[in-house]
Amino acid sequence: MSYFEEEEYKETKFDFDVWKKIFGHMAPFKKHIYIGMLAAVVLAGVDIIYPLINRYAIDEIIETGAIENYPTFLGFYIVFITIQAVMVFTFIWNAGQVQQKLSYSLRKKAFKRLHELPFSYYDRTPVGWIMARMTSDSRNLADILSWSLIDLSWGLLMMIGIAVVMFIINFKLALISLSVLPLLIIASVYFRRKILKAYRKIRKENSKITGAFNEGITGAKTTKTLVLEEENFNDFDRMTSRMKKHSIRAAMFAGLYFPTILLISSIAIALVIYYGGSEVAIGVISAATLYLFTNYIMQFFEPVMQLANILARFQQAQASAERLLSLIEQEPEIYDTKEVIEKYGDAIDFKKENWEPLHGKVEFKDVTFKYNKGEKVLDKFNLEVEAGESIALVGQTGAGKSTIVNLICRFYEPTEGKILIDGKDYKERSIGWLHDNLGYVLQSPHLFSGTIRENIRYGKPDATDEEVEEAAKMVEAHDFIVTFDDGYDTQVGESGARLSVGQKQLISFARALIADPRILILDEATSSVDTNTERSIQHAIDVVLKGRTSFVIAHRLSTITSSNRILVLEHGQVIESGTHQDLIDQRGKYYDLYTNQFKTESIELSKSK
Amino acid sequence: MSRIHQFFKWMHGNKRYYAIAIVLLISLQYFRTLTPLFIQHVIDAVLKGEESSFPQVLQNLVAADTVGKQLMLVGIAYVLFQLMRVIIMFGRRIINAFFTERIAYNMRNTLYKKLQDLSFTYHSHAETGDLIQRCTTDVETYRVFVGEQLIEIMRLVFLIGFSVYQMSRMNVTMTLVSLVITPIIFSAALVYFIFVKKVFKRVEETEGTMTTTLQESVTGIRVVKAFAKEKVEIEKFDRHSQAYMKENIHLLKLMAFFWSGTDFIIFIQYCLTASVGIFLAYDGQLNSGEYIAFLSYVGMIVWPMRQLGRIVGDFGKTIVALDRIDEIVLKENEHDNDTMNEPTIKGNVKFEHVGFQFEDDTKPLLKDISFEVEQGESIAVIGRTGSGKSTLINLMVRLLENQEGSIKFDGIDIKEINKKHLRKNIGIIMQEPFLYSRSLYDNIGIIKKDAKQDEIYKAASIASLHDDIQQFEEGYKTLVGERGVTLSGGQKQRVAIARMLIDNKPILIFDDSLSAVDSETDIQIRRALNDYWKNTTVFIITHRITTAMEADKIIVLDEGKIAEMGTHQSLLAKQGIYAQLWDIQSNVEYDFKNVKKGVSANELL
Repeated sequence: MSYFEEEEYKETKFDFDVWKKIFGHMAPFKKHIYIGMLAAVVLAGVDIIYPLINRYAIDEIIETGAIENYPTFLGFYIVFITIQAVMVFTFIWNAGQVQQKLSYSLRKKAFKRLHELPFSYYDRTPVGWIMARMTSDSRNLADILSWSLIDLSWGLLMMIGIAVVMFIINFKLALISLSVLPLLIIASVYFRRKILKAYRKIRKENSKITGAFNEGITGAKTTKTLVLEEENFNDFDRMTSRMKKHSIRAAMFAGLYFPTILLISSIAIALVIYYGGSEVAIGVISAATLYLFTNYIMQFFEPVMQLANILARFQQAQASAERLLSLIEQEPEIYDTKEVIEKYGDAIDFKKENWEPLHGKVEFKDVTFKYNKGEKVLDKFNLEVEAGESIALVGQTGAGKSTIVNLICRFYEPTEGKILIDGKDYKERSIGWLHDNLGYVLQSPHLFSGTIRENIRYGKPDATDEEVEEAAKMVEAHDFIVTFDDGYDTQVGESGARLSVGQKQLISFARALIADPRILILDEATSSVDTNTERSIQHAIDVVLKGRTSFVIAHRLSTITSSNRILVLEHGQVIESGTHQDLIDQRGKYYDLYTNQFKTESIELSKSK
Repeated sequence: MSRIHQFFKWMHGNKRYYAIAIVLLISLQYFRTLTPLFIQHVIDAVLKGEESSFPQVLQNLVAADTVGKQLMLVGIAYVLFQLMRVIIMFGRRIINAFFTERIAYNMRNTLYKKLQDLSFTYHSHAETGDLIQRCTTDVETYRVFVGEQLIEIMRLVFLIGFSVYQMSRMNVTMTLVSLVITPIIFSAALVYFIFVKKVFKRVEETEGTMTTTLQESVTGIRVVKAFAKEKVEIEKFDRHSQAYMKENIHLLKLMAFFWSGTDFIIFIQYCLTASVGIFLAYDGQLNSGEYIAFLSYVGMIVWPMRQLGRIVGDFGKTIVALDRIDEIVLKENEHDNDTMNEPTIKGNVKFEHVGFQFEDDTKPLLKDISFEVEQGESIAVIGRTGSGKSTLINLMVRLLENQEGSIKFDGIDIKEINKKHLRKNIGIIMQEPFLYSRSLYDNIGIIKKDAKQDEIYKAASIASLHDDIQQFEEGYKTLVGERGVTLSGGQKQRVAIARMLIDNKPILIFDDSLSAVDSETDIQIRRALNDYWKNTTVFIITHRITTAMEADKIIVLDEGKIAEMGTHQSLLAKQGIYAQLWDIQSNVEYDFKNVKKGVSANELL
């Protein structure tokens, strides 16, 4: 499912810092890297030795007829074959170990960091971006750093080794053989760059096509009802045409690359045939040496092509690393101080034994808040809520309802001022302590794949089946759950896809209830539930809210009339506050809203018709 | 036979290019097996005056009186020969890429077109992820098969064949010896790659689970945090991440054994050929040059053998991929056999005893639905979830086809009206609207490409969206949808309304389409829409009575049947379901009446 858009990255300069950090992450697997590199080096050696053994066979056995040398030949051959097999195994095993363990550890670090980052991070970072970092980037990076690093040592050693052996055997021929090397390098670098660029375009186009398929499928109903089939297809055709064009272009460069290298090397071989042949003719070198050189030249290009590839891959790795590191190193803006963590534990290791019970008194003291660089949403906001009080927040979008709730949950922290819980600044207690005592039901409920039972139990992992059912009954979810064939063991599908919005809502309700929170937050929790259900939930809420501090945001005012206190918000200010009755008496904004909602929408419309 | 057809139907129109590519490919393999003979010729014929295995044509070309001249000619011939090979090679690759990409292009377009034309029923049962995989991964599998693997198989077979031919020209015994172990290499690779597929599948499965966990955790981060379940999530992810790693390491072990093991066998073959070669040479049956050439030819047989086993072992994948693609392509297109009739639709809608039931269902979703709406009238359909409201709408735009009764527009049966034409005349605004990955501007103007800026702005204003859009940093250029910013449910609904207002539709259907908009905005939009409603037939689907009550006609649906029908007042008087619903929803008002003596319910109404 990795069809996230690959980010465009430019050819980057070598960044020493990034590599230092990457090698830091690789440090735990040093042993495997060294062993793998060693195996690669030995393999390069063996590859160089085979032609020498064959030369020995020609020079010392075939040409001289000294068959008694055959056992030596055979002995060497068998020994080197064995070494080769063992080294190939060692090489693959260790490179693979590095790859797997490195990507695992990168995923682990990034995932942990993701759970330490505050909501503001998720506000500005698309899920797709995060997914791409966690999947393709971590995989690419580990891939390249393991195999490429070890391949690199094989390739380098191979080239150096061949060059050295050639120079030892015959200086002049070696020089002639390697004369085309600069040409080889230039061609390789040129083509690699072109090919890489072309492939980048293909990848980009490819992810667009995948996106279009996704849109075509998920938006099928809309496309049908809007009759957009033809337009969509034309757009799609433009993409696939571009894809075709880019792919053929890439194939052209790729198709030129290998032949060019082959041609360059054949020039070297032709030169060796001419000069080497002449030397054989005058008896300076043996025919077997001539064979050895032509063989070495051919063996020489493989690493050249590979090195060009590896260098390009390293560039890619650096880009992947930069992005992944930017995630791993992202500093959480909301965190507990050292002292707090020491006493109460962090998000992963709770020290519950030190936790004070949470009673539920909430106070805002001169709280000012703004999102990132935006305007102030709250300015010196004050509010005192007693433990067990139920508060309703009313107002238009942007009035600050969600902000207040987010601040209470410490999903955000006040820009200025303090929030006290049970009389103490909540920053002096741990985030885990607060969240463990918090229940939160959202407007768009999110379920995890798994059964209904597992989803409800999410709020209290050690809940018994009876408790789960109890909670479901309280929110009247039990009735629809038992109509499913598998009842509580029904799979909800990915993100709850197999349930209706209303059903998901009810389950998320049960999930919050089972956690028995001290503070309960309902954010538009009933907007997608039909009238009958809403009424039942309303009833359940009234029961459940008793004894808990609660904050309810609702557009439908009918759901909040029984709150202890209703706060009417406008531009971050409380303009009215009191019980439903008080506010109706006041005949102010709330009265308007309330009567409007029930009356105006219908009356006005029927009048104007 | 059908398998063969399945394989080749996508190549349609490209067979000629394929044939050219194959001819070039075969000639290339022959030329490749000539290269070792250059060295053989030099060592044996030029330098030692013995027999050359060069084809006669080439021997004539490089013939000269002195050794020096001969060497130079061989050198030049070698470069020219390679140049020719390189040119053919390049041509072959370009032709190859050309038809491969054409095939892939054709497949993608066919699939996309088909997906759009598949019935609504198909889409409502389909899994997006699975479909996307068919359109991307499976297409890629076939593309690779046609463009690379099939070609590679032919390449390898011909390379092996020509190598054997060249070897047999020099020495038959050596040829046979060089082929002793090759069947083992081929079978080892074949068996291994068939077996390892299972392991691959497990790796993919564990990866899938891991990715799902990741995605769910990230999208549900609010829930995770609000329940302080970071630890649970981290442990869960770690479990899946580890399982994925373990499967990979298992695969790794198999790979390490396979590659090192087959390397060992391959080099044993080298050793065997070399050993026999040495003895034959000692015996005077083989020259040094031939011995060297044989070492090259062994390489042209053993490595391809392993590769061949690998590709053949992978064969099944392509068949599976093609089957999966065919499952989409061979499905019925909803526009096949549709009438071409495009009558003008004014807005009169009449249902006569309409019934609908899914084939695999036991209970009908709708039965005996009859009502009539005049042009310009508004009609509300109210009922609880599952009462058949959505089915009713789907029937009206022929997303589903009614099996019983008839639906008539201005007296014409719906089945006598072209589907696309019908849909163009009916605007549906859905509860959870889908926005395309484009700018807001383009989304609003999506059904009218030539809409002027004024029209777009006006539509946005009526939908109370203009001000919201101005708030965005990039205004109307803001990208939405899959790859753009996430809009709230209410904003999406308003975009959906705006895009309908661009065009004058005789019939509009609001399918609970203001549920996520706050009540003040809701009222604003309704007021603004009033102008719009004059000649438009409006359907309002809702479960809220306050939304339904102002309609000219109200239908109460219950379990697929019309339970009640009438105006607000007449339905209240009936004391049926509608009145009951009214009671529940106005319980607010009851509270109000009870607590507040000064305000009577009448004052509210």
